[in-house]
Amino acid sequence: MDPDRHRWLLRAGGIAGTLALWELLGRWQGEALLAPPSLVAVELIHILRDGKIVTALLGSLSNMIVGFALACAIGMPLGVAMGRSRVVDLAAHSWVSMLVVTSVAALVPLFIVVLGTGVVFRITIICVSAVFYITLAMYHGARGIDPRWLEVGCAFGTSPVAAFWKIMLPALYPYIVAGARIGLTQAIRGMVVAELFVIIGFGGMIHTAGLAVSTATLLALLFTLMVIGVAANEALRWIGRRLAPWHEARLLNI
Amino acid sequence: MRGTRISYLYPISIFIGLVIWEIAVWDLPRVIMASPSMIAFKLVDGVASGAIPRAFAGSLAHLGLGYALAVAVGVPFGFLIGRSRTVFYALDPVINAIYAIPPVAFVPFIVIWFGLFFEARVVLVFGMSVIEILVTISVGARSVERAHLDVARSFGARGLALTIKVVVPAVVPFVFTGLRIGLVRAIHAMIIAELFLAAVNLGSLMKQAALRFDTGALLAVVVVLAVFGLIVQEGLRAIEARLLPWHVRN
Repeated sequence: MDPDRHRWLLRAGGIAGTLALWELLGRWQGEALLAPPSLVAVELIHILRDGKIVTALLGSLSNMIVGFALACAIGMPLGVAMGRSRVVDLAAHSWVSMLVVTSVAALVPLFIVVLGTGVVFRITIICVSAVFYITLAMYHGARGIDPRWLEVGCAFGTSPVAAFWKIMLPALYPYIVAGARIGLTQAIRGMVVAELFVIIGFGGMIHTAGLAVSTATLLALLFTLMVIGVAANEALRWIGRRLAPWHEARLLNI
Repeated sequence: MRGTRISYLYPISIFIGLVIWEIAVWDLPRVIMASPSMIAFKLVDGVASGAIPRAFAGSLAHLGLGYALAVAVGVPFGFLIGRSRTVFYALDPVINAIYAIPPVAFVPFIVIWFGLFFEARVVLVFGMSVIEILVTISVGARSVERAHLDVARSFGARGLALTIKVVVPAVVPFVFTGLRIGLVRAIHAMIIAELFLAAVNLGSLMKQAALRFDTGALLAVVVVLAVFGLIVQEGLRAIEARLLPWHVRN
């Protein structure tokens, strides 16, 4: 058999097997503990039609996008500056490492005291979740720029500004995409952390579904989150292929 | 983060940052932002009174048990997924799907299954770290150089000998990376569990401090977590450098 087809069959088999196992487990345990996928699918259609969740989701996602955009606007220049300048690296690196190791969840109570529980708080949590991962991805990209490319530019009399736009920036494209992908995953995680803690928006609905012990709703909501995560990731990967077709952006291992 | 040199300049940069912070919040009320000296005071106070060490010891219990379970499950299964093409292609979409869901979103589900206390905390730590270990090790096990395997095979290595002498040494660096990332995630899960399930240990210290609008005490706990995370991460990295000197990448 042709290996590509074999691979797809295995993938489909894996998904089908998981669903079948889940269905069996769900039937055996009952809906209060684990709703089987057949019930979850019905529930998913039901909540999508109802529209309340769609509204909550759109609100949450728009916060997420604002926070993510802020994180890119802060993290990308910071990462490049850290990668290209020894002084900036020294000033910022230890702080960035410390904040990446610290869970954002640990900062949630602090931000609530300082910022309250409104939109500003949620956007801040989302931004903080993503910003240091984006910074580190850009830092690695900026450090890894081959000095010979810059020397060639120098030999041809390129001004520093032109060297940035024509040499450094294209060299950073793959890292911009990789950083954005890691950052977006983290931003979605941050969104759920913030909303689950103050019980609002989409995260609040997850909490409510848990309290009501309605696992069908709960799993339908988790499924929605999964689809959003996968779709966002694929969209960024597609942009990456358009932006830097010579470099299949890999997820950096940080 | 890879290639970070432990340099004497870093403590100096942290010190300068703290001085700037201290000056910046000089005139602000304490509720808005605590100064580093305030945090240090609260930290010393918390350690001396025994509240922080007691809470920290309690947190270590579910961290340790959850992480140990994650290692016991994640390492062999990661290896299996990476070495068998069939298992890899069958499970890859499922693992990616689970990985795409923010882990905190599982909290209400964990509450339904395991309640609010110790078992639930262990499950959250286990779940969040096992998936990182699994993914990292399976990637490593997949990327064993074909040429190395071919050379070993042409010298007659088969089965177990091939696995022990070629595959395992090639995967060990990824095992270390997986254990390190897994442990950092486990520490995240440890505090998430204490804040999102029933508030206990460090999480309860934080919630009480938040009720008192005591940002100094809140940040003292954050500092404990950050320093603990950094020590654990750099410690594992140092062990890796001692055991696998050929693999230390810069």
